[in-house]
Amino acid sequence: MNDSTIVTESTKRYKWVGTRPIRPDGVPKVTGRALYGADLKLPGMIFGKILRSPHAHARIKSIDTSAAEKLTGVKAVITSKDLPEQKFDYIGPERVAVNFWHVTRNIMAREKVLYEGHAVAAVAAVSASIAEEAASLIKVEYEVLPHVIDVDEAMAPDAPLLFEDMITRGIEPAPTKPSNISKKLEFAIGDVAKGFAEADVVIEETFKTAAVHQAYIEPHACVAKAEADGQIEIWSSSQGHFAMRALTAQILGSRLGDIRVTPAEIGGGFGGKTVTYLEPVAATLSKKSGGLPVRLQMTREEVFRASGPTSGSSMWVKIGVKKDGTITAMDGLYKFQAGAFPGSPVMNGCLCGFASYDVPNQHAIGYDVVSNRPKAAAYRAPGSPISGFAVETVLDMCAKAIGMDPLEMRMKNVAKIGSPTIAGPKHAHAGFAETLQALYNHPAWKAPLGLNQGRGVACGYWFNAGGESGATMQVNADGTVLVATGSPDIGGSRASMALMAAETLGVDYNMVRATVVDTGSVGYTHVTGGSRVTFATGIAVVTATQNVIKDLCRRAAMIWDVDPEGVVWEDGHAKPAGANVGDFKPLSLREIAAKAAATGGPITGSAGVNPGGQAPGFSAQFFDVEVDPETGHVQILRAVVAQDVGKAIHPSYVEGQMQGGVVQGIGWALNEEYIYNAKGQLDNPGFLDYRCPVASDLPMIDTILVEVPNPVHPYGAKGVGEANICPPMAAIGNAITQAIGKRMTSLPMSPPRILETLSKG
Amino acid sequence: MARIVFTSGFARRYTSGVREFEVEAKNLRGVLKAMDEMFPGLGEHLEEETTVAINGELHETGYFQPVPPGAEVFFIPKIEGG
Repeated sequence: MNDSTIVTESTKRYKWVGTRPIRPDGVPKVTGRALYGADLKLPGMIFGKILRSPHAHARIKSIDTSAAEKLTGVKAVITSKDLPEQKFDYIGPERVAVNFWHVTRNIMAREKVLYEGHAVAAVAAVSASIAEEAASLIKVEYEVLPHVIDVDEAMAPDAPLLFEDMITRGIEPAPTKPSNISKKLEFAIGDVAKGFAEADVVIEETFKTAAVHQAYIEPHACVAKAEADGQIEIWSSSQGHFAMRALTAQILGSRLGDIRVTPAEIGGGFGGKTVTYLEPVAATLSKKSGGLPVRLQMTREEVFRASGPTSGSSMWVKIGVKKDGTITAMDGLYKFQAGAFPGSPVMNGCLCGFASYDVPNQHAIGYDVVSNRPKAAAYRAPGSPISGFAVETVLDMCAKAIGMDPLEMRMKNVAKIGSPTIAGPKHAHAGFAETLQALYNHPAWKAPLGLNQGRGVACGYWFNAGGESGATMQVNADGTVLVATGSPDIGGSRASMALMAAETLGVDYNMVRATVVDTGSVGYTHVTGGSRVTFATGIAVVTATQNVIKDLCRRAAMIWDVDPEGVVWEDGHAKPAGANVGDFKPLSLREIAAKAAATGGPITGSAGVNPGGQAPGFSAQFFDVEVDPETGHVQILRAVVAQDVGKAIHPSYVEGQMQGGVVQGIGWALNEEYIYNAKGQLDNPGFLDYRCPVASDLPMIDTILVEVPNPVHPYGAKGVGEANICPPMAAIGNAITQAIGKRMTSLPMSPPRILETLSKG
Repeated sequence: MARIVFTSGFARRYTSGVREFEVEAKNLRGVLKAMDEMFPGLGEHLEEETTVAINGELHETGYFQPVPPGAEVFFIPKIEGG
């Protein structure tokens, strides 16, 4: 157990749920034997390489692949002409609207390249070096066009247009002129003008945040094999192999039933592996090479240049408070970079920014804006950390203005059951107030600070998700139990699924083995994202286990020759429901399993579920920092993280999620950013120049697990993977402000920025 | 009776700007059916484009979801995680 863990409420005790067994996937991972996307080797496998644009914005005049095709060892060369055209149609609404006309153009450019690194063509050859040489032989004639990187510049009337016919959605009447603004969103409750009029203090500020990458350790990778009869097999590292199957089928015009995707281990995703870049390309190369398996993987540079970071932004937030700390109104304007194609998480930014607070008057406008950057992808609570930085910073300014403890001001306004949200529905779950109280009770909150030191606090909200999951359970003849799900294990789900199955079945955890299986072996399962797996796939596993228990009782009844209603399941044994049933010695799982053939064959259970009522995530954090006024370096001295976790199924994994989210937030706050040169090319596409935090940058991160169970889940679980990344940027900024006496409004708060702020007098 | 509520944007697009309705339904299938009878085609838009909050609790828009008597059924844009 982490020494700093505090579990604030002793909820119902279980035998297995809430314990900390060794992770079932630990041995292959620490011995280097776990198989990731790029590890698979198949007989006859060839190697793919993608040719990418050197230009930020250019029209493709011609592509000549003849020299590449003639190179010895080359088996296939493809361009966008090898992928079917897609209909221009936004499927679904708002943030999740997918337009496959855009998706196919992101996978392989057609009329134009829209960012440096945009895929233009691909080759497959008998070796990686031949593939690389062949890619260099492809001649692309470009007409270079003016580009735009910054979101405010992209919104300017004279900005270079990425799509000459893009009319902003969400404005009525529709604009007559095209722009880079893909969509406008607006949400409101109450009357903000009235709310600001009631306030004693009204503060507004503008903010900028940089685009940051999810920075997963494992680059995108897959192997694909396309047979002549249309069947396709894919092995890939992703956050959802069912999603990869669906996306690949749509891009290639294939049927779902003709594609089987096997999940590899995944070396981090954080949202960035919910979309496809490689699978349709590898499958097309395989088909064109006559069915040879093709491995396609990105380099780290390609990951930075061509896969989605989250949005950078330009924002304005205004908040009104009374002298007693009551927030009367909140208003926000959020302009998010979508990258080269529409689809930033600006809707989430609008909906999450104020969601932690009980405020009757709220208003938010969001703009989704394209520019010559790689298309944004989801990143841990997508959108919420961005608007949260602005909102939580202005709250700190308000607290200072009225002379109130910033944590006490948040406690006074914290959202509770029945509080309104800007989308309309009222909050339905508790846990926010308990979390703030737990943070406030931490002994370090009021500890003294030294010279050049500061302390800052912030909160963060995330919806969490439910949705479709499948699970199957098999009981083997020796009483061991297999649990199969379709949720790639990113945050420890194999352990938590086994714990919930063992608890439900009443058997030893070590008798249960949880696996992640391919799309042909379990029911459809949505991506590992939205902090949904422990909740939704957990419910699928518990339901499958309950189905197995019913079957075990039926089989015990057969063995005893009694009615099935006369058998109950307790502590891993079938027992007579009462004395009138008969005097039978309880039958263990193993004893019933040994009679499987005689009682009807294999013992299996499955479940397909689509649960809702997932309960949102809420995290509150404070940081102590020390700023070196000569270098601008910020040292994180202390980080204390409280989060409403519902019930921690495996507390060590929950702590890991909380600490991981905070580390990514620290990087976002202090150093991470995409740096472009004048030509619109990324200057820092590697971990030397794109600086993620390393262990020596960090203190031990104290975790406070606040357990307010979700009654909808059989064991009370709430999603824990995302809310924790929302507070660090504002909390650290607030701490720096206290240390240096000047307000930080731009991310990252890197040494040059700190020095620049200090020099402003 | 359940109180059905739409966001203003959704209401503008599909229900002539009317944001609130009252319908008799035991589950979401009943709500979708009742709304589709009032505005033909609306049921499909709701299924494809919304998440639903039943008394504040978020669910995917599935037929099976029970709607308690007097519930507020609030349709909001779909939300996706990371």
